[in-house]
Amino acid sequence: MAYDKSIRPPFAGLWKGMWATLKALFRRPPTVFYPEEKEIPVPRARGVISLDTEACTVCMLCARECPDWCIYIEGHKEEVPPSKPGGRPRTRAKLDRFDIDFALCMYCGICVEVCPFDALFWSPEYEYSEYSIADLLHPVERLTEWLDTVPEPPALESS
Amino acid sequence: MTGLMHRSEVAVSVELQTPDMTLNIGPQHPSTHGVLRLVAKVDGERIEEVEPVIGYMHRGYEKLAEVRTYAQITALVNRIDWVAGFASEVPFIVAVERLTGIEAPPRAQWIRLILTEMARIASHLVFMSSYPLELGATTPLMWALRERERVLDLIESVTGGRFHPNFNRVGGVKPAAGGGSKTKKISMDLPAGFFAQTKTAMEKVLHVCDELDELVTGNEFIKARTVGIGVIPPDKAIEYGLSGPNLRASGVDFDLRKVEPILPYDEVDFDVVVTTSGDCYDRYVCRLEEIRQSARIVLQAIDKIPSGPLQAKVPRVLKVPEGQVYVRHENPKGEFGYYIVSEGGRMPYRLKIRSTSFSNLSILPWLLEGQLVPDLVAIMGSLDFVLGDVDR
Repeated sequence: MAYDKSIRPPFAGLWKGMWATLKALFRRPPTVFYPEEKEIPVPRARGVISLDTEACTVCMLCARECPDWCIYIEGHKEEVPPSKPGGRPRTRAKLDRFDIDFALCMYCGICVEVCPFDALFWSPEYEYSEYSIADLLHPVERLTEWLDTVPEPPALESS
Repeated sequence: MTGLMHRSEVAVSVELQTPDMTLNIGPQHPSTHGVLRLVAKVDGERIEEVEPVIGYMHRGYEKLAEVRTYAQITALVNRIDWVAGFASEVPFIVAVERLTGIEAPPRAQWIRLILTEMARIASHLVFMSSYPLELGATTPLMWALRERERVLDLIESVTGGRFHPNFNRVGGVKPAAGGGSKTKKISMDLPAGFFAQTKTAMEKVLHVCDELDELVTGNEFIKARTVGIGVIPPDKAIEYGLSGPNLRASGVDFDLRKVEPILPYDEVDFDVVVTTSGDCYDRYVCRLEEIRQSARIVLQAIDKIPSGPLQAKVPRVLKVPEGQVYVRHENPKGEFGYYIVSEGGRMPYRLKIRSTSFSNLSILPWLLEGQLVPDLVAIMGSLDFVLGDVDR
């Protein structure tokens, strides 16, 4: 690497710096003014977890695989009357409670990955800050609300 | 000694018995990159002895890993060195792959290579921004971070996370979520437009390197602060176990990407950047050149990446056989290694993390001895450590 280590007389660097500042004055800034302008997150961005209660079978896989145990699930079995007369009554798992504590969550995405029934999805939404840390515990109602914001997966690079 | 001193100074030192002062720097100090505390014994402007006090950021990852499955540890290990999260994930996954005998398909390995080099660029750009800032220049901070954002956006578009990708899995990269009918067909392959965006981003990165060359590398103020300051001779560098750009700046040609590649580095063409004098300026120059080399690797890799599957066949519940393995890899900061002891089962018995910054920091007491207090920040910054990496 041929780098000149000699120190030239001063001020050349100073003027160069000033010249750079002057040029930057007329450049378009790369920043955005946040509340007015918003950057659109990429579709794969891990913003918030949404829940599809219809698909959830209360199998507890997500709660068990979560590295910091921030998912709280409670459920019970209930009997569904037979669909056809003479049929067998079936038992179905019913979700009583599904809370994700986003104050504890570390956004690793393991719960979404292990869900075998497609009940959990990532949404790139990020505006859910709260004044109280307890409000970051999202109950079922809030988790299902996020479902509308789940984007389509991006197209892939042809290989 | 007296020959160099002015007569008035001699008189003062005879009359006044100045005791050594203990100067406490940190743990909350803007130039320490986090919560490093330095207890320095100073005699006027000279540092006589310095003792780094670490552990303010200890999160106990080695212990946490003993009660986590391998998939859960992957989410933890990219939080060790958050500036280049992807680069600290790869050696862990490769270590587990070596234990289980699973090999990732070529396309997955190339994706790992591209993203590792992007993480290296992002990490070095943080150095390019923070180091001149510590020396008193604010413009390079904005310029380097602007281009780093571009690189991080690309990492996010593939992995979903800017800092904590959590994208590597044993036997490949992140699979499609779940096994249900909706997500079964979703592949986590590179998103459309990735190659074109990467090409633009690399051009911009190379451009900002040239800009930094003009603004920082040739600047006489920066040179006056860094040339000949904090010289590490090669034998001392090896003695203290330095690695990465800190070692190569001292003239030791050692790069794990050439010596022990765990990714297809032998198929791309790049140079190991070695500079000779080992001072702060050389450590800066070494990193600047490494950004260019990394950009070169990424541009070659996006042309060479093969098509094919992303995931090898892996059992649903991953049980790792009994055994021990040590896998190391060239992190942006140097050698980063994982030593896994497995007694069989879903969790490791012990995970030893050989983190780079911890070893690189160990030279600090020797290096700062006899230096001036104003040079402390310049020397400390040139070692480029991350406190999360030091304390783990």
